[in-house]
Amino acid sequence: MLQKKEVGKIPSIELVDVTKTFNEGNVIAVDSISLQIDEGDYVFLLGPTGCGKTTTLRMIAGLEKPTKGRVLIDGKDIEAIPPEDRDMGFIFQHFEIFDHLTVWENVTFGLEMRGYSDNYIIREAEKALKTVGLLDYADEYPNIFGNPGLQKLGIARAIATGAKILIMDEPLGSLDPKVSSVFRHELRNLIKDLGLTAIHVTHNQEEAMSIADKIIIMRSGKILQMGTPYELYENPNSIFVANFLGETNFLQGFVLKLLENDQMNIWIRLGGPKIICNNFNNRFNLDDNIVISFRFEDVYLFPLNYDFENSPFDWSKIQTFKVILEAARFIGATKRFYLILDNGDSFVSLKPGNFEENFIIREEIIAGINLDDIHVFKTPENLFNELSLT
Amino acid sequence: MRKIIQKADENKTEIEFNLPISLKIDRFFSKPVYRKGLDAITIIFFLLVILGPIINIFSTIFLNIPAIRNDVFADELLGNLQWRNILTSLGYSFSIAAIAVGIDIILALPISIILTRYNFRGKKILDALVDLPMAVPTSALGFSVLLFWGIFGIEPGFTLILFGHIVFTFPYIVRNMKIVLEKLDTLYEDAARTLGASGITIFRTITLPMMKQGIIAGAILAFTRSLGETGATLILSGLIETAPIMIVGFRRQLELPSASFLAGILILISLLLLFSIKFLTRKTGLPIKSVWTRLEGFFSHKYFRYFRDIMTLVILFVLILVPAFYVTTQIINEDFIGELFLGQDYKWAYLYVSFMNSIQIGALAVVINIIFGMPFAFIITKRKWGRVITILDTILDIPIAIPSAALGFATFLFWGPAGLNIFQSGFFMILFVHIAFTFPYMVRPIIGVLESSNKGVEEAARTLGASNLTVFRKITLPNIKQGIIAGCIMVFTRSLGETGATIVVMGNIRTVPVLIVDWVEASAFPSAVFASVIVIIFSAFLIFALRIVTKKRGG
Repeated sequence: MLQKKEVGKIPSIELVDVTKTFNEGNVIAVDSISLQIDEGDYVFLLGPTGCGKTTTLRMIAGLEKPTKGRVLIDGKDIEAIPPEDRDMGFIFQHFEIFDHLTVWENVTFGLEMRGYSDNYIIREAEKALKTVGLLDYADEYPNIFGNPGLQKLGIARAIATGAKILIMDEPLGSLDPKVSSVFRHELRNLIKDLGLTAIHVTHNQEEAMSIADKIIIMRSGKILQMGTPYELYENPNSIFVANFLGETNFLQGFVLKLLENDQMNIWIRLGGPKIICNNFNNRFNLDDNIVISFRFEDVYLFPLNYDFENSPFDWSKIQTFKVILEAARFIGATKRFYLILDNGDSFVSLKPGNFEENFIIREEIIAGINLDDIHVFKTPENLFNELSLT
Repeated sequence: MRKIIQKADENKTEIEFNLPISLKIDRFFSKPVYRKGLDAITIIFFLLVILGPIINIFSTIFLNIPAIRNDVFADELLGNLQWRNILTSLGYSFSIAAIAVGIDIILALPISIILTRYNFRGKKILDALVDLPMAVPTSALGFSVLLFWGIFGIEPGFTLILFGHIVFTFPYIVRNMKIVLEKLDTLYEDAARTLGASGITIFRTITLPMMKQGIIAGAILAFTRSLGETGATLILSGLIETAPIMIVGFRRQLELPSASFLAGILILISLLLLFSIKFLTRKTGLPIKSVWTRLEGFFSHKYFRYFRDIMTLVILFVLILVPAFYVTTQIINEDFIGELFLGQDYKWAYLYVSFMNSIQIGALAVVINIIFGMPFAFIITKRKWGRVITILDTILDIPIAIPSAALGFATFLFWGPAGLNIFQSGFFMILFVHIAFTFPYMVRPIIGVLESSNKGVEEAARTLGASNLTVFRKITLPNIKQGIIAGCIMVFTRSLGETGATIVVMGNIRTVPVLIVDWVEASAFPSAVFASVIVIIFSAFLIFALRIVTKKRGG
């Protein structure tokens, strides 16, 4: 173990070209994916329902066998090892608490299975229960708990065994949104305190963004992109990722002119505005159909008579164009402005709730977008499919 | 952070690591080889005990075609009289089963609703009373029905058989309807009510279609039970011979070719019925789509409802409950002490011995059916063998579908002197037959709990380090316990109550139901009354136990 740490190169969990099919190959759940998870990382598998993330997780835990490919733990192939010998903690969406056993018996179950001495079992079980704050309920049956209590017990049961890898399948999916948004920070702290390597499956992008070290985005059995939350949010590599993480505007257009400095001039379709974009990710040709994306919060708004020349701020990178304000909605912490271009295309601007303005509905105002905030993608064959969240 | 990891590591190396022996055994036998071995043994047992006799009887018929032709179709003296008798008996059997099931369904619809949707004092008692005839040996019920309708001068014959059959098939139908109604969410009915439907319209267009599966399942059970019943029918039949009784008759006169021919026909028809019903259930549409708002609204009025409820309760008591248990009132009238205990022929000794036989056979059948039924239920629910599972699942219902007298005779031919010659008529042969026809009663409840049990819990246990067998012992078994106990009680009561299959293979051994038939035929009424009452009390205890067991599931 020490040696490996010193080398520092062997990932804790590694998947090599793993494929999983069901129904005699008719359903491809996971399609030849490879990934590496380093020791001590808290990694999220994020994707819409049915994208293969849970199947990936179950293959790591040994509850499913890969149809093809290898799963390596600390560099060793574990295909022949049954789930009971893999020494991983597993936390389930529906808790899967043994309701015929007491809280104490639930937590000691894994320790008993490993044949530890009584003293050790008592010490570790008490530690685990104390960690989640359920020590006072040790002799009760789990049916006294609501969902949060059950999941705390599920966590205690999984960490009590001392497993260094923690696998979580939608662990917060059965909790109320409010409870879950508090609970997830507790979960992260606990995992970090114990120094566990953790994989967390969810379809909730907010959950992933707020507590992940790294996020792996999956769709239709494939990995689309992996990276830190910041990397994914700032540099999505596909329309789907841009759409799935955060709130994003999409506009269609075509390449009007290729400029120097890897920049190009783009004309938004049907007589929309012409704007300049950076051309980082792909090579584009003249007349290519493209889709540009920019985040809701990256749209600046100005009154028609705004004096850019004498403004205290530097607006040189901002491209502006006239829009009609269709509607404005106040949602507590934020305000949303629904804007319409000349050609009828619409997009949204997100502002803090205390944003001061005196815009009039259905009047013209000026919208501005920073050059660096715009991402350009080739128009896919089926744009509708790319923009759907499944 | 890193420090903590290392600390945990040190702790791990410190502590002892000693797997208890039970977990070691579990780990050893969790190897796939042993699982496959158990699967193989279970399926071989299933095929031998249940399919073997049935396949054997058809081959016997095929090999004995000349003898059958001589006996049944072209007897030197009687010509094809026997064939005409067989046809008549089949006609009786099927018309009695059909009429009984029809009356059962009409009566069971309101009763099942009263027992699930209403709340009133004494509901539990009524519920238990309706269930009770299922556990009581049919010969005791038949005797009770004979005594009750005897008051009104109804002699043994077609009508009395019909009355008897209604009594013991009724619980099967109510039970299945109740299961569906209890699961059914009343929200659908409420939704229909908010849309302006009257009570009857709701029942006909919403509730009834959703109950379809339950009604059909109950009807199949009741129909096959009626078709195969022997004990009560022997007592109530008078001069009429139904098909199972004819088999018993052939067997008693050692006309084996005729018996196997009739048993074969009965088995064939029952199998065809079973498969066609399994096939048809998906397609039938019960309700008529049009709605007569005014008419149905009018008849949904609460006075009509009161009238209907009271009428059904009255019919329930007059037609089913009172006849079923009338015999218990006769215990004071009859001088059973003189006949049973002080008589010269030691009837009490016969009663004691046959009672012990019944209990021993029932208990052994339970034990053997648990041993093979549990792995079989696991095969059906857990193995992914595709079509093989579908086939096994269908074959499993065969012993329920075919008349027990026919199955008994087939088993006799297969294992007895005429076949493998392993068992003679007697205790073990009875046991074998009872194992065969009660097998599905053990497996079905276990499949039920296994299917509704949560597989995630088992996976959780495995990720915590439990091997397959440990998971079974510590997690699965406690969860399916109630299903197993329910199966045990079902098997025991069915075994206790069986007459037809026993008569065919019993030799000199007697069980209680057969003894009751014997005593009624010999007009030893006081002794028969005493034996019936004993058996009814015993069965009531069993039903009581079953209710406690199944009730625990919720809490």
